[in-house]
Amino acid sequence: MEEYNKLKHMFDKGALSRRDFMSGVAMIGAGMAVAPSLLSGTAQAATPKVGGTFRIGMEGGSATDSLDPRTYSDSVMIAASLCVMNGLVEFDASGKPTGELLESWEAKPGAKEWVFNVRKGVKFSNGKTLNADDILYSIAIHRGETKSPAKGILKQITEIKKVNENQIAVTLEAGNADFPVILGDYHIVVVPDGFTDWQKPIGTGGYTLESFEPGVRLVFKRRGDYWKAGRANFDMVEIRNIQDPAARTAALQSGQVDAINRLDPRTVNLLMKDKKLNVVRTKGTGNRFCFVSRVTEKPFDNKDLRLALKYGIDREKIIQQVYNGFATPGNDHTLDALNPFYNTAMPQRKYDPDKAAFHFKKAGLGDAKIELQASEGAWGSAVDCATLYQESLKKAKINLDVKKVSADGYWDNVWLKVPFCAVYWGRRLSADQTFTQVYGSGSDWNDSNWRVPEFDKLIGEARAELDDKKRKELYFHAQEMIAEDGGMICFAITDYLDGYAKNVMGADPHARYDMNDDRIAEKGWFA
Amino acid sequence: MLKTIAVRIVLGILTLWAVSVLIFAATEVLPGDVASAILGQGATPETLAVFRHELGLDRPAYVRYLEWFFNALHGDLGIAMTNKRVIVEVIAPRFMNTLFLAGYAALIAVPTSVVLGIIAAINEGKFIDRFVNIISLMTISVPEFFIAYVLILYLAVQFEIFPSLSTVFPEMGFVEKIYTTALPAFTLTMLVMAHMLRMTRTSVLSIMSQPYIEMAFLKGLTRSQVIVRHALPNAAAPIISVIALNLAYLIVGVVVIEVVFVYPGVGQFMVDGVTKRDLPVVQACGLIFAGAFVGLNTIADVLAIMVNPRLRHPR
Repeated sequence: MEEYNKLKHMFDKGALSRRDFMSGVAMIGAGMAVAPSLLSGTAQAATPKVGGTFRIGMEGGSATDSLDPRTYSDSVMIAASLCVMNGLVEFDASGKPTGELLESWEAKPGAKEWVFNVRKGVKFSNGKTLNADDILYSIAIHRGETKSPAKGILKQITEIKKVNENQIAVTLEAGNADFPVILGDYHIVVVPDGFTDWQKPIGTGGYTLESFEPGVRLVFKRRGDYWKAGRANFDMVEIRNIQDPAARTAALQSGQVDAINRLDPRTVNLLMKDKKLNVVRTKGTGNRFCFVSRVTEKPFDNKDLRLALKYGIDREKIIQQVYNGFATPGNDHTLDALNPFYNTAMPQRKYDPDKAAFHFKKAGLGDAKIELQASEGAWGSAVDCATLYQESLKKAKINLDVKKVSADGYWDNVWLKVPFCAVYWGRRLSADQTFTQVYGSGSDWNDSNWRVPEFDKLIGEARAELDDKKRKELYFHAQEMIAEDGGMICFAITDYLDGYAKNVMGADPHARYDMNDDRIAEKGWFA
Repeated sequence: MLKTIAVRIVLGILTLWAVSVLIFAATEVLPGDVASAILGQGATPETLAVFRHELGLDRPAYVRYLEWFFNALHGDLGIAMTNKRVIVEVIAPRFMNTLFLAGYAALIAVPTSVVLGIIAAINEGKFIDRFVNIISLMTISVPEFFIAYVLILYLAVQFEIFPSLSTVFPEMGFVEKIYTTALPAFTLTMLVMAHMLRMTRTSVLSIMSQPYIEMAFLKGLTRSQVIVRHALPNAAAPIISVIALNLAYLIVGVVVIEVVFVYPGVGQFMVDGVTKRDLPVVQACGLIFAGAFVGLNTIADVLAIMVNPRLRHPR
């Protein structure tokens, strides 16, 4: 129920995707700095072949699932929706937005007014040709009186209108250079104008729905006239719901499915030895695990203490011992290294007991005990991480008291309330969303209570800045500010681990989600 | 005797009714308002009010209970709040799956364990007695998922004899279904056998110290004749109730097995319903489980009365 509680706080407000949580926890794992070659893809023949039945075993579905996009919260329905429907925006392997049903776009200076071009000549499976009305309707169902989780991120739209059959214009309440990224949110998929029959969705995707038993399986059939060349190559696609990691692994090993998501990091080393299988690892895009201190509370109002706590954590050791090496060290902010605006110039903070001891002494707290509250309710292995943290601080002569608290009600009673506790954060759509929600002064979930006007000004400037080079400078500085002064010790970001049969091609890592951005059914083919 | 049986059946129905009240009350006192739990905190007071009305939550609890109860009597379990599907339509095939697997496992487990129990009783203290005892104790002592994983590892992954995914689909034939669900059926068999086997053995042996058994021996009957003709009918009542308990377990208690073998039964359906707070689904599952449990126990009681020689031939 922990995910549910966190959901209650955040996901409902459009701040957190449960999917991010579920996938991250499924891979209690760790790793090294991200290799740039990671995203270059595997070397394989790039001419897709058509045919075969592709069977995917996935965690992240439930008997309560529905194809109504306002209800998506986890991998199975995201992957399923992308078989039948298309989004507005797709993302390339490095996480940059590229056109999908919105082919291209342009922003007026200030990034407040946008014009989007609707792709021409795309047909729905019922024969209707896509036009601007369909796009407007597909966005409108997430606005106004709705329980859509995408409602929050679309609030910034003040006006959205049709310019002509193939163009729409959007006005925002304030400039946002990341607006196309926002439109790439997985809830926003396109159906014909006025469509409501969610049991039998009509879309522009590469497949049509054959059957759907919630929590059991979805079957799709190839449409054959897909508008994306070389995509949707399987005759049939079958998505099976397999919640148990061991069951998924066994099904893959015995050849009953061709692909599975969320491998167990504790056993993935053994799977890598299997010659029939291909393990695809996307480093450091999963959950961000942190210990968060509230900088407004004593003694954490002392910057030297915060620095001591940051130098005093042995990230590598935690990653090796708790996550079996399948995670990436965090650099004390929650942006991941695959984000285009990740500060590559800032050195990775390392375990340094001497520096920690120095700053602790400078803080002038004597031999005060610091209390850290942790719980399985924060994430499965939070208490293990805290215990290792305690050990590594001991070398710097800092006494950490780990208090294990109840998992029940953790997000209600501990998070945002106690001065120092364990917290995880999920991936956000963009750098701007990350900084605004986690560190912005106006955010209810600014859990370190680090509210700095200079920082707000910085990200406000970056938000409306259309020049990526200038934005990068601003965001680099923002990350330095957080890592240097903030109250968050972000020590690990988990990896995504997918398993495939050797003959599945197109199984590349992706900066956004696992299973090639949940589009493996569309992007893959059999060798 | 007929009167005793009738009383049992009426008691069973009363129990079921009491359980239905309990189920309704339990879902009623779940923390938090259901409407706001579903709509989230972005909901405005108006949408909440509309949604509450839609769910009928603005009416008193007893009215809603009576309505739910009478609809259930007519076979209408309502509509799922999460995906708006008709619950009966979704739950019926799943319940059939659950019954199929339970029946499959029971067909292997019940005869095997009763026969083995009798054999163990006949050969009390000998090697075969100890052997079946140790094996059955071993299978009951390890957690169910462990047996399941061991079977998967050897029979599905290494030797690929049976599939590890036991999901059954409507288009499958009977033989294919039997083959697909072999591993969960074996696992369940191992889980329930020990209990029934040992109960058979113990109750037969406890009868063996009775004077009339001694009489039978003195007549010159062999040990197996005495056990099958004289001891077993008198020992049947406790054996039947243990069998009923285990059958009920096979129906209501196999969520873990369903998860490990990806079997689409009612258990997983209920867990999903609870996680998403889909109350009509939870109530429907609770009612079906309670019905299965109470029904099987009532049948066991009736059978126990019918096979008991003393009740069958009252003086």
